[in-house]
Amino acid sequence: MELQQLMVYIIVALAVGYLVWKFLLPKSMLFGKKKGSKSCGQDNCGCG
Amino acid sequence: MSKNINVALIGNPNTGKTSVFNQLTGLKQKVGNYPGITVEKKEGICKLPRGVKAHILDLPGTYSLNTTSLDESVAVELLLNKNDKNYPDVAVVISDVENLKRNLLLFTQIKDLRIPAILVINMADRMSRKGISLDVAAMEKKLDAKIALVSTRKGNGIDRLKELIADYKSLSTSPNIDTTRIAPDYFGRLQKAFPNEDLYKLWLVITQDVNFMPIEKKRIEDVTSFSTKSKDELKKLQHKETVLRYQFINNALKETYKVDFLAAKGLRASIDKVLTHKVFGYLIFFAILLLIFQAIFEWSSYPQDIIDEQFSMAAEWIKNTLPPGVLTDLLAEGILAGIGGIVIFVPQIAFLFLFISLLEESGYMSRVVFLMDRLMRPFGLSGKSVVPLISGTACAIPAVMATRTIENWKERLITILVTPFTTCSARLPVYLILIALVIPEGSILGVSYQALTLMLLYLIGFGMAIFSAMVLNKILKIKSRGLFMVEMPTYRLPLIKNVAYTVLEKTKSFVFGAGKIILAISIVLWFLGSNGFSDDFHDAEQIVNTRIEEEGLSTYSKNYIQNNINTYEQALATDYAGLTSEAVQDSIQIRTQDLMERAKAQEIASYKLEHSYIGYAGKAFEPLVRPLGYDWKIGIAVLTSFAAREVFVGTLATIYSVGSDEEETIKNRMAAELGPMGKPLFNLASGISLMLFYAFAMQCMSTLAVVKRETNSWKWPLYQLAFMSIFAYLVAMVAYQILS
Repeated sequence: MELQQLMVYIIVALAVGYLVWKFLLPKSMLFGKKKGSKSCGQDNCGCG
Repeated sequence: MSKNINVALIGNPNTGKTSVFNQLTGLKQKVGNYPGITVEKKEGICKLPRGVKAHILDLPGTYSLNTTSLDESVAVELLLNKNDKNYPDVAVVISDVENLKRNLLLFTQIKDLRIPAILVINMADRMSRKGISLDVAAMEKKLDAKIALVSTRKGNGIDRLKELIADYKSLSTSPNIDTTRIAPDYFGRLQKAFPNEDLYKLWLVITQDVNFMPIEKKRIEDVTSFSTKSKDELKKLQHKETVLRYQFINNALKETYKVDFLAAKGLRASIDKVLTHKVFGYLIFFAILLLIFQAIFEWSSYPQDIIDEQFSMAAEWIKNTLPPGVLTDLLAEGILAGIGGIVIFVPQIAFLFLFISLLEESGYMSRVVFLMDRLMRPFGLSGKSVVPLISGTACAIPAVMATRTIENWKERLITILVTPFTTCSARLPVYLILIALVIPEGSILGVSYQALTLMLLYLIGFGMAIFSAMVLNKILKIKSRGLFMVEMPTYRLPLIKNVAYTVLEKTKSFVFGAGKIILAISIVLWFLGSNGFSDDFHDAEQIVNTRIEEEGLSTYSKNYIQNNINTYEQALATDYAGLTSEAVQDSIQIRTQDLMERAKAQEIASYKLEHSYIGYAGKAFEPLVRPLGYDWKIGIAVLTSFAAREVFVGTLATIYSVGSDEEETIKNRMAAELGPMGKPLFNLASGISLMLFYAFAMQCMSTLAVVKRETNSWKWPLYQLAFMSIFAYLVAMVAYQILS
């Protein structure tokens, strides 16, 4: 396999990896849910 | 030995807490001349005299410790919890010299919690202009506290403030008000039940509406020797507390704070009268919007053309200079094309934020909020919803977070759900390229059609937000009440430093935030467009050559060559009038040959793309978007931009670049694209359909995640996604079917 081809595969793999990490991993989608974080302040908010 | 201390910056909204924070820490958090910029606490480090190192917390603005909204509760939660690792060793209460009386309410409450407190009187540079005189020494005595007169605009008073913070141990912790005076009998029993607790802290825990301390509340309710009062009775006692506090404040200010009201109110009141007028106010706002959109289109076209040409030249240079191969193709057709598709919009994004920043800095934005309150009420929103809706023109994510300033949960939920309809900066590139393609040039009353179309799209987004709010107001059965209160800051000349910083930061975050995603998607798309599994893809050159030998070039290629030759002939006739007819014929023949070679290469590239991985994926998706007037290439762009709208243009730029050897701009490549009937693919019908689709579709994964976080449930973001996507699809389809 020539060098250019090999580098393209590496770059494409990195790009796919970045997109998976950015959008598909639950951790990033949920912003790293913090323990005890207060998302809602009203007792009538309906989020309970 | 150095000592680390916690310092909390607290104050009413729009008193300049973040400016003081920036001055102390050297950080550059966003500041503005309208309330509600800070909705979460921010942290920084400040080195103080005598080796003291301070951990500074910038807390969201609050009018008092009797909180009503989520952002306000952040401050109270910290002040009431001694076990919090950020519990302050000293509280720096920021006040505005013009609204000192109101600001002192919060200060006296913090003093009564026995937290060492320093009063910062900010905006001191405006004292003489506003006819204000202060006797600081006497006021310090009356309030039993240290005071720092500060002007963050001029950078004055910060050193004194640092000295006072470093010397925090000498600050008085005696309360300003004797809490038992509110209701001696009630507080006597409370103190007896909890002899080791601070009385005012207990009182705050009992009276908080915000449900952030259920455990503390329960602890008080569980004690049998003390029974708390009903909600109405507690409210009455809170009012009594407020009256007592204002009596104390009035007494403290009587001899120490003087205002010449004539000097203070004259000009500001006159300007307010016009800007918030029920007719002129809206007309002026409308005129300002027109100016902004005109600027976005007209003024930024020059730098944009330069950027577009530079990217095309860079791609050409890479192809001609680097050794031929797939990596060179990836750089020129994938990476550069994708990034160029975003960088080209930098001038327009910068202009948008320049104007928004000027409006915020000058104090006009708060007038807009006030003005809009009248319009918002019938739709179940309040004037406070305008801040998120306007912030949404930058990005829906901070805008959704900005809804924390809204006290009423129903209003807040509705605002969260409708904010993504406002036109964010990610939609701007999509609109701009489509408008440039399908809306003719020309103007009416000096305003171009293209600028008017852009403004119309912003108004459609805003209008849809309002309409949805009205529907949601009727559907949602949540009972809650809220009052509208907005700070009217003084008008001031925008600081060039602040404006430049906002423009730079917003543009940078747009380019780099979106840029990484676009770069990654461009690389993947290029790969999928440059590779395929079928024989059609691998033998594309042979298949197309055979077809051209048998049937000739496609109609599109023939027309393209003919038009090009016609233009060339005209150019020869005017620029080279002295040429012999033989020379002209030779020149045209060479030109035709060259164009035919190019057209052939283009047809091969097009055939390959159609039979590549992405071609098959696009063809599979095409039936779904065909009723909207889109071909498979646009379908792919719509699909890839599901995660983030701005990817749309980058995707098209990459798709149209794959296999292209020509030095052409994105716009030209898109304009040359033909539909199945041989007409331009990007025509008025498909262009409007696409613009409407992007005006209404959710197409932003990060917004969905932040809505989930703010509503603490997947229910609302999923409703939002389903409604916005289906609505966008239907509107786009109807628009295309009518217009075509």
